[in-house]
Amino acid sequence: MFNILVYGAVTSAIYAMLAVGFTLIFGVARILNLAHGAFYGLGAYAAYVMTGPLHWPLPLAAVAAVLLVAGFGAAMERVLVRPLRQSALAVLMITLAVALIFEQGMFLLFGSEARNVPAFVTDTWTYSGLDISGQRLLTLAVGVLVLCLLYLFIQKTRAGAAILAISQDPEGAQYMGIPANRLYSLVMALSAGIAATAGVLTAPFLTVQPTMDLLPMVKAFAIVIVGGLGSIPGSILAALLLGYSETVVAYTVSPAWTEIVSLIAVLLTLILRPAGLLGKRAAF
Amino acid sequence: MRRLNKDVIGALTVLAVLALAPLAAQSDYVTGILTVSLIFGIWAVSWDFMSGLSGRENFGHALFIGAGAYTAAFVDGKFDLSPWWGLPAGALVAVLFSLIVGFPTLRLRGPYFALAMLAAATIMQRLMRIFWQYTGGEEGIPGLDPLFDEPLSTYYFCLGALALVTAALLALARSSWGTILRAIRGDEAACQAAGINVTFYKIASLVISAACAGTGGALYADYQQAVTPDVFAVALSITIIIMVYVGGMGSIYGPMGGAIVLALLPEVLRGLGEYRLWVYSVILMFILFFSPDGLVAPLWRRLRGAP
Repeated sequence: MFNILVYGAVTSAIYAMLAVGFTLIFGVARILNLAHGAFYGLGAYAAYVMTGPLHWPLPLAAVAAVLLVAGFGAAMERVLVRPLRQSALAVLMITLAVALIFEQGMFLLFGSEARNVPAFVTDTWTYSGLDISGQRLLTLAVGVLVLCLLYLFIQKTRAGAAILAISQDPEGAQYMGIPANRLYSLVMALSAGIAATAGVLTAPFLTVQPTMDLLPMVKAFAIVIVGGLGSIPGSILAALLLGYSETVVAYTVSPAWTEIVSLIAVLLTLILRPAGLLGKRAAF
Repeated sequence: MRRLNKDVIGALTVLAVLALAPLAAQSDYVTGILTVSLIFGIWAVSWDFMSGLSGRENFGHALFIGAGAYTAAFVDGKFDLSPWWGLPAGALVAVLFSLIVGFPTLRLRGPYFALAMLAAATIMQRLMRIFWQYTGGEEGIPGLDPLFDEPLSTYYFCLGALALVTAALLALARSSWGTILRAIRGDEAACQAAGINVTFYKIASLVISAACAGTGGALYADYQQAVTPDVFAVALSITIIIMVYVGGMGSIYGPMGGAIVLALLPEVLRGLGEYRLWVYSVILMFILFFSPDGLVAPLWRRLRGAP
């Protein structure tokens, strides 16, 4: 029982970090970013390169990896996405091309075998007969912290207010003098940075492989659809829901069936409540 | 009428070139590669019929391909029926999958269909590995019976299938059905206001697309005489989309050309086989920025004269 509680929370935190960035960039810039999984993978690979071959100290490497991926996100928005913004399909395809190039690039540079990143915390905590690795607890803590910071940023700062304005009415916001393009870059950087944080934190206990970007992205899709496309509280709620139901299924039925949970959740949501748990009905 | 004649001449020329190609090469290896390129043609054309015309991008065409391929493998490898039963059975199961995903998602606007297809194909690929007792896991199901003993017969059968699928879908795309799909791409709300049941047309088109892709998947399994979870891979779905882009979206015949050219390209540029996806993604970037209408269809329009 207790282990379901803890492991479910860790899984939910990872899912939430992946899903908020995905839903944010969609809600604000209407970009359906298929390269979101690549941000996650790039974070993990950057942490691997900096700690492994470059021998940087771990905390420095972690922060540098996140900043690097955030910069990559902003650059991608500026160079690749912005010129194609007139066509939603072209934007979708260019993000897909970035995802492909990430996968192939990592494959060419590092090969297909799994890479290791050292754990940030090597201790394990024992509580009522259950061993929990410190790395997982750290992931949970950082995940909660990142989500709180994101909430404060959006609710309390001028840039956050501008982001909300754009997501509510892009044209109206631009008439008020809000620089939409600059904010799109900023949001892309934020979204990439949060996904990279998840990648860096989970790299020590999940595998770092060229194809690692796909499944997290599929999970992010599922969560975002269940929570409501464009809604940040919705995706956090859905992340908790999916994270816990997968953990419960893994413990009570079999780990093999966890993959089906998200698919069933997506189909049920689309049949029963297409706007998602907390989505706006007139979202599109 | 004259334009139609030019189209017919063009189609017959392509058909003749494809029919003579393996005879000129005289090698089983080349025939095999050509066969695969024809199967890719079936997949690209079927993708274009649903997604190119209606503008509803399908990021998991491999779901239908995999469904067809695994069904064919089960029919042949596990139930010991003649491999010919795999073709209709594969199409049927693919149609079933298309209904499961299409019914909830295609009623909605927004990107739900694209996301759900991608998710469904990825998860099916995982399930094939997880339930290895039944599906053979990573190795898949090997040792299937081929449809024909001669590679050349398989090639001509695939060529016939491709010609049939392309002709049928082209005819549908030029009928009022195609007009309605294009209208849905233009303005879905206006179509609804005009009294068109848009959901029916979208789902029915997906069903047709899935049936063709499933048959193609079964053909692929029979040609390879094996299936692996890779038939569900996102890389396969994406390869097909890039082929359609190169061909020219919404033209049906363009994607057929794009598929054949792109499937043969890595073989022509020797040593690039391993970097296939790399080459494809660079081509995709180039097309998105410099030639959004694709290459094959605009080229044919220019050859044929007035649009």
